[in-house]
Amino acid sequence: MRFETMTDAIGNTPLVRIDPAVHGLRNITLYAKMELLNPFGSLKDRAAWNMARPLLTQAVERGDTVVELSSGNTAKALAVIAGMHGLSFRSVTNRMKVAEIKDLLLLLGAEIDELPGQAECLDPTDTDDPLTRMYHRLAESGGGYLHTDQYFNELNVDAHLNGTGPEIVKDLDGRAPDYFIACVGTAGSSTGVATALRQHNPDVRVVGLVAHKSDFIPGIRTIDEVHEVGLFDPDVYDTVETITADDAIDGLLTLVRRCGTLAGPTGGGAYQGAVRHLRAIDAQLTEHRTAVFIVCDRVESYMSYLRERRPELFGRPPRRNSLRTVTDADVRRAATMQVAEAERWIAEGRGLVVDLRSPFAYQALHIDGSINIVDELFAELLHGGLPFGRRQPVLLVCPVGEKSARYAALLTRMGHPDARSLDGGIIAWRDAGAELVRD
Amino acid sequence: MPLYLSPRIDPTVQSVLDETTLMAQLSDALGSPLGVVLPQQLTGNVAAFRSIFSAHRLSGQIYFAHKANRSSALVRELAATDAGIDVASLAELQHALGAGFVPQRIMATGPKNEEFLWLAARSGITVSADSVGELATLATLVTKWSLPRVRVMARLSGFASTGAQLNSRRSRFGVSAAAASEVFDVIEKHADALDLVGVAFHLDTIGLPEKAVALEGCLVALDECRRRGLRPWSVDIGGGFGVDYLADGTQWEQYTSALTEAVLGRRAPLTWNGHGYGLRAEGGHVRGSLNLYPAHRPLSGPAYLDRLLRTTSPELRRPLGTLLLDNMYELHLEPGRALLDQCGLVLASVLEVRDEANGDTIVRLDCNARDVSLEEHGVLMDPVVVHRTTSAGPGPVGVYLFGNLCLEADLITRRKVFLPSRPRTGDLLAFVNTAGYLMDFSATQALRQPIGRKAALFRNDGAWRWCLDEQYWPVHHRAEAP
Repeated sequence: MRFETMTDAIGNTPLVRIDPAVHGLRNITLYAKMELLNPFGSLKDRAAWNMARPLLTQAVERGDTVVELSSGNTAKALAVIAGMHGLSFRSVTNRMKVAEIKDLLLLLGAEIDELPGQAECLDPTDTDDPLTRMYHRLAESGGGYLHTDQYFNELNVDAHLNGTGPEIVKDLDGRAPDYFIACVGTAGSSTGVATALRQHNPDVRVVGLVAHKSDFIPGIRTIDEVHEVGLFDPDVYDTVETITADDAIDGLLTLVRRCGTLAGPTGGGAYQGAVRHLRAIDAQLTEHRTAVFIVCDRVESYMSYLRERRPELFGRPPRRNSLRTVTDADVRRAATMQVAEAERWIAEGRGLVVDLRSPFAYQALHIDGSINIVDELFAELLHGGLPFGRRQPVLLVCPVGEKSARYAALLTRMGHPDARSLDGGIIAWRDAGAELVRD
Repeated sequence: MPLYLSPRIDPTVQSVLDETTLMAQLSDALGSPLGVVLPQQLTGNVAAFRSIFSAHRLSGQIYFAHKANRSSALVRELAATDAGIDVASLAELQHALGAGFVPQRIMATGPKNEEFLWLAARSGITVSADSVGELATLATLVTKWSLPRVRVMARLSGFASTGAQLNSRRSRFGVSAAAASEVFDVIEKHADALDLVGVAFHLDTIGLPEKAVALEGCLVALDECRRRGLRPWSVDIGGGFGVDYLADGTQWEQYTSALTEAVLGRRAPLTWNGHGYGLRAEGGHVRGSLNLYPAHRPLSGPAYLDRLLRTTSPELRRPLGTLLLDNMYELHLEPGRALLDQCGLVLASVLEVRDEANGDTIVRLDCNARDVSLEEHGVLMDPVVVHRTTSAGPGPVGVYLFGNLCLEADLITRRKVFLPSRPRTGDLLAFVNTAGYLMDFSATQALRQPIGRKAALFRNDGAWRWCLDEQYWPVHHRAEAP
């Protein structure tokens, strides 16, 4: 395969059969449309390219900025496409909830405009929604923007009507599947694919999946939010079902651990929703059926999302010399030093003073002669062993003398004979009128 | 299916509602509407905030935002705790001083006239300054009247974020963080009149990321103070901690889904004249956004403070609470609504219950939308029916609540409210958990209708007692033994 440009690699993704031993359906063959294999990592590459392509020549001539209301894959694809054409890209979002995606966009050179959160004191005159705000901005700037408008742009649907949908039919030897299951985000892919499939077989059953109202699944809208989407037409779907973040993660784990498919939560949700919907039908079937769902994107961008919801998946063996192993009894036995004694001890140059506060706070004001090793770095050092000799007396300083006492206890347990904690911390030091300096 | 939005009611408030005879007597004696405040509830609310301070090893002060309620009983009871008070007008300052707050526990915020500034300086309270001009006026007053040095906070706004641009609603208050040095210049120039004790912000948002940027901006401003040799020790993060009004989150979800469907015309209207609370239908799609207080707000009050303090600072990459502690800074806050959680209710008597030809049921109340300002503040929450005898018929019943003003717009809420049982004329509706902003914030005497009286309810000798709000002091005499 030889291409002139990466955008030529968009589309023509494989349709892969999911092992029946994994999903347990007896009469239904389940296929996954592997959209995660698109060059920029998701299904949205198709729509982004299809929407931007016709406008690019003019945009390049004028030096426009590409703008989209997106906090995920569309923004990613548009950022790449804009970059390839020497244009800048701006993503307007009402909260980018996944940290890795935000970082990736910044890495790609995108600008991100985050809209304000909900007001605490209600202003009844404020009825703006993110879209309206963005249109205002576009109008104010007097042009110079290429707005792809993914929630209302028919070219979004068109990318799937002429691409994703027909590819599925071709790979099923010219037949549409009996069931098509898709998560609803912009509704572009589900609408486009469903329409294409029905052109071959009007009886295709289309299942739309939306997120449970109180849940957040990146890339999927809740039942209320879909009504805000211009492309959403309820008649496309034979049924709309709800999935939870837990369902999406369960499905994701099945796909990544058992199916060789490094799917993100949307793909996981589609798999879980598909199997749940099909299981009931499968039990009644006497003849063979086929079903297709879409794996939208890849897992790597969702580590923080997964870590937050399933911390147990990331369990690691405990490291040695961990502060967490210090007991309250250890802390009570730890040696402390009162402020007055500490002033003398420091003046006589009897040992090393280690300030465990943040560098920012240390630089603002600290005890003269102390060195700064912020606690998280100190903890890291201690995993490797004592960072100073046993004959080096040490006085540890933190804000109130609590953290320093725990570290003094840990140092003592590690065999240090003279590690002490400043009693009451630097706040007691300040309150006693002892000197603080700033370099 | 009735779409209830049942209020969250704590056991103490429930025990008040169970005293139906007392409720009826109070309403008969004092009229409708009647604001009922429960000052003793404040102690627990203050303690809940304090416990978050302790958990983060932080010191500082909780200043009750007086504007949330005009009650004397609440302010006097609060004076008996260790909390402070945030006053935003001359009269509020007089009220706080008269209730027993010493100047060290009072902070003046908001827009101020010269009289307010003079009394603030004269009495020695802390002034949270809104602008450079205000500081200059204050310094002039102090010099002219030979007053002691005034403790001041500088309110900042318009904090810049790095990386992704985090937008905040524009605020009419505070000095742009980028121009903070102008504030410090004025303070240094008037060092004999002004004593800078800290910097402050208040953002009208429930968004934690915006507050994290603002708090970090304050730390940077304080570092600038350090560099200049000024020694302020506190950061004031304002209010906005919020209240969870509803007992059941699924009711909120069902209601808001149903409202979306109603706006799209897929079900019968749930509101008077099809009002959409910010949502509107365009070509079969919903546009706009729901312009309501998030009545179901599980992360609110002290828990919201805790989450904010655990939030990692965007630039300094350390939890905000830890950074405050590292820098030896005190934390100040001004909760209003959150401190008044479960501290009061409004009783309104039913004047008429009638069924309209189109099937709507109307309940007309002897109070108006200014007396229970649920609608103005966008809080959707059902009242509790207090029957004098029995229900007028099997429930539930969906009703519109009309107010007592001769005004088309005077509905207590534009929402159809589902009541579990049908009220009769003379019954009472209790709007619970309304002490914070929803009781008398904007009560007026329009049409010469009276502003509702206020009564304080308190436990003494194992029973509920009451007195007029202005009669209440936190000193309760035990009944003489027979």
